[in-house]
Amino acid sequence: MVSKTEETQLSNLETQVDNGGGGAWEYLCLVRKLKVRRSDRVLKHGLSILNDPKKRSSLGPDEWTLYEQVAVAAMDCQSLDVAKDCIKVLQKKFPESKRVGRLEGMLLEAKGAWAEAEKAYSSLLEDNPLDQVIHKRRVAMAKAQGNVSVAIEWLNKYLEIFMADHDAWRELAEIYVSLQMYKQAAFCYEELILSQPMIPLYHLAYADVLYTLGGLENLQNAKKYYASTIDLTGGKNTRALFGICLCSSAIGQIAKGRNKDDKESPELQSLAATALEREYKQKASDKLSLLTAALKGLKVSS
Amino acid sequence: MAEDLVLDTAIRDWVLIPLSVVMVLIGILRHFVSKLMRSSQVPDAKIVKEGQLIVRARNLRAGANFIPPRSFRARRFYFSNEENGLLHVPKGQAPNPQAQMFSDPNMAMDMMKKNLSMIIPQTLTFAWVNFFFSGFVAAKIPFPLTQRFRSMLQNGIDLSTVDVSYVSSRSWYFLNLFGLRGLFSLILGEDNATDDTQRMMQMSGFGFDPTKSLGAEKDSLDIVQHDWALPKFEQRAEAVLRKILS
Repeated sequence: MVSKTEETQLSNLETQVDNGGGGAWEYLCLVRKLKVRRSDRVLKHGLSILNDPKKRSSLGPDEWTLYEQVAVAAMDCQSLDVAKDCIKVLQKKFPESKRVGRLEGMLLEAKGAWAEAEKAYSSLLEDNPLDQVIHKRRVAMAKAQGNVSVAIEWLNKYLEIFMADHDAWRELAEIYVSLQMYKQAAFCYEELILSQPMIPLYHLAYADVLYTLGGLENLQNAKKYYASTIDLTGGKNTRALFGICLCSSAIGQIAKGRNKDDKESPELQSLAATALEREYKQKASDKLSLLTAALKGLKVSS
Repeated sequence: MAEDLVLDTAIRDWVLIPLSVVMVLIGILRHFVSKLMRSSQVPDAKIVKEGQLIVRARNLRAGANFIPPRSFRARRFYFSNEENGLLHVPKGQAPNPQAQMFSDPNMAMDMMKKNLSMIIPQTLTFAWVNFFFSGFVAAKIPFPLTQRFRSMLQNGIDLSTVDVSYVSSRSWYFLNLFGLRGLFSLILGEDNATDDTQRMMQMSGFGFDPTKSLGAEKDSLDIVQHDWALPKFEQRAEAVLRKILS
């Protein structure tokens, strides 16, 4: 997670570097530390440092880190020649290194030579079966080839060992959603909520999945999670507001024939609707009529 | 009080300063030697998995109230059922760390390497100091001390009449041995190999048993009362919305 101060620091440095104000190395360090994806800029500024022998040698041992960073960025930008050169230099410096081996695997991957990359990765994994990055690369490779079921298989294998890695759980959840396997996705989102209970995005995604699953109980739960999203975001999440309206109307439809003794907070729905209306009035007044029509449709059915 | 002893300046130049310099150099040498000898430890898959498992179980315990009761119960069963729950360690199967240590030659080897890099230079320098500088009064502390410090400061001199504030060469060696840690962490960085105390702590923590923490986690998971927090959130959401609407 990137905090607000770091973000402003990053953007300040970014404008400074882009306008030729120096501080390229600091910028690159910050990008590396925050693990943000700014491949084009990293490539441009990193390369300008690397091509200047004086600047490069002033980095000392950090020079090699920069080579690695630029290589990865170059692969991301499809400048494979640059990446190749960087990796060659690293290879010369660290002939036996596994980290360089990983970069070579990634280069093969960037070229689209899947079989060779796979071979390179599996030979690296033989040496160190607990290399998380390589496991993840494999998942990414399967996904890039469109082989989603294989990606799921790899991810499951990875999560069997590294079961506290919430990023992997998130990836798995998103893959499951894309395959419409909502029950599995719901499990993954539960896992995410457990590991970071205060992040509203997970509550929202879980609610979406529950709503899609349907059924009275799931809908009620979905409504609860939409409510928690509203609480955690301070009512600023439009999707959650819509979710409340949709859930209430769907619950109303299902529970129409039955006895309504478990009547739960009818007020929430109307409050959400008013909040939505107000938000639309403020930000997109030309679409207000669409909203009112949609809300009316929901209310009629309930 | 006996009259002040006059220490020859040659003692300062040839005993006090060389001793300190040698101690520093040996410390630095030891750091690099142990760095060379350190074998990169490949973590065992099982240990990694257990660590991750504990983190996940702890998460479940902490965030239990945020997931629906049914999901919580399913997870708890998955973690702690008596047949094949992940946290359940069958009795008698827990590996004894002591036995494990002896069965794994690498582990013993590693410890031996560490110990050797610590003990050998120490014995050598001690022998060297003993041989060349035994019986020297090497320095004087500028403040008086009580008799209790005699064994600490005048190791190697068996005279009870010498004032306690004089330091013998052997004691100077010991003072250097233990007192240079701060200097090393300045020169060599924070986590240097010369830090003996830290190693001692590691050694005492060596008997750490992961299966025990698994069992403890299981027990505390078993007694968690699930109290779903989400129904309360509806009221809270209402309150939030009312607040922004008003």
